[in-house]
Amino acid sequence: MWQEVSEVVARSLLVSGTATVLAASWSIPTAMFLAEKESAFRRVLLDVSNTLVGVPTVLIGLILYLLLSRSGPLGFFGLLYTPASIVAGEAILITPLIVSLSASVLREKRAEVWEMALSMGATERQASATMVAESLPRLLTAVLLGFNRAIGELGVALMLGGNIKGFTRVMTTAIALEVSRGEFELALTLGGVLLVVVFGITAIVRKVGKAG
Amino acid sequence: MIELKRVSFAYPRSCEDAIKNASLVFGPGVTAVIGPNGSGKTTLLKLAALLYRPRAGEVLIDGVSFWSMPDAAKVAFRRKVVYVHEKPIMLRGSVADNVAYGLRVRNLSSEDVAARVDEALEALGIKSLAREKAQALSIGQQQRVALARALAVRPKSLLLDEPTANLDKSGREEFMELIVGLAERGTCIAVATHDRLLALKLMDRAVIVENGTATLIENPEEASLV
Repeated sequence: MWQEVSEVVARSLLVSGTATVLAASWSIPTAMFLAEKESAFRRVLLDVSNTLVGVPTVLIGLILYLLLSRSGPLGFFGLLYTPASIVAGEAILITPLIVSLSASVLREKRAEVWEMALSMGATERQASATMVAESLPRLLTAVLLGFNRAIGELGVALMLGGNIKGFTRVMTTAIALEVSRGEFELALTLGGVLLVVVFGITAIVRKVGKAG
Repeated sequence: MIELKRVSFAYPRSCEDAIKNASLVFGPGVTAVIGPNGSGKTTLLKLAALLYRPRAGEVLIDGVSFWSMPDAAKVAFRRKVVYVHEKPIMLRGSVADNVAYGLRVRNLSSEDVAARVDEALEALGIKSLAREKAQALSIGQQQRVALARALAVRPKSLLLDEPTANLDKSGREEFMELIVGLAERGTCIAVATHDRLLALKLMDRAVIVENGTATLIENPEEASLV
């Protein structure tokens, strides 16, 4: 049992970690763009992002399933039922969360740090760098919260990964399967590990948040 | 010297001007900017500090219109003016790091940075705090750090927003001495303040701000009667 548990946990961490890194790579620059200046376009984008934070994971799963299935427009990639499809789905799922939280942090910092930096003689580029440096702990918090959402979601992993043993099975899909089979011992063990991971990340978030 | 010529400014999504057709000069010596809360003192200082772009009119630095010059030239002009916020803004890191900020963005050598940081900390009497975390200091100490940061870059014009709001009595007196010394050395200083006593002691002229309308009074005696 422990071999299976450790394999599933390792895969979950890898898949959700990769999805988080990917999502952060485009979400933070997007948040910087949104925080840069006041404009109607940026406000609408931010409103859309805020609205999408609570989108149900099964809806993302369904849309991506239709896109990636053999008859879908992206079916030729052959990604459905692979870890890569879970990574893509989770990255898309957590993008609005990271964008919204990061934009809010950067807007707040912009109001004070940006002005101070310019006033002290920084160029706009130096002021931007200062603003990001000052926001780093809270940006990291946003990213870690994204990771928490990714590792704890079920809809995307189940619909896009297919819960294939030894290939796409992650903690949440394994728990769902074991419960349906009446294998509560394995389900509870995985549930316990998932809780430890989420609590661990939350503790890190709290510590990092305090530093910011 | 900073000159505002028929400057009007409105905040985004506001239909009313926060500053209306202001024409005045922040010249050598001390200009006290006086007015009730919400009258537009801070907005006026931020316009003079080149942080806000006016909706209409011009801001001239040493006779050159700032907002019509190419972006590449703006930094050099901006570096002549320093604005210090009412609520001190401290960066992460030590007091010395904060004071060094303006010098580092100017790419000064590390020896020059260290010497000027030392000098500014000494002038504000906070040398003993150099290694403390700036964000952990009391607000009064942070205000001194913000002033030291401003002095370290030796600006031609220094715009201070309620600089004594968080200082105790002795801090205020030291501050006044410092400002008088700077003004004597040719720095143009503008101080937005509620502290009438401070204004009366320091000012060579006053700007009275009321409902976004700024009026320059050149004669300090006349200004003291307002």
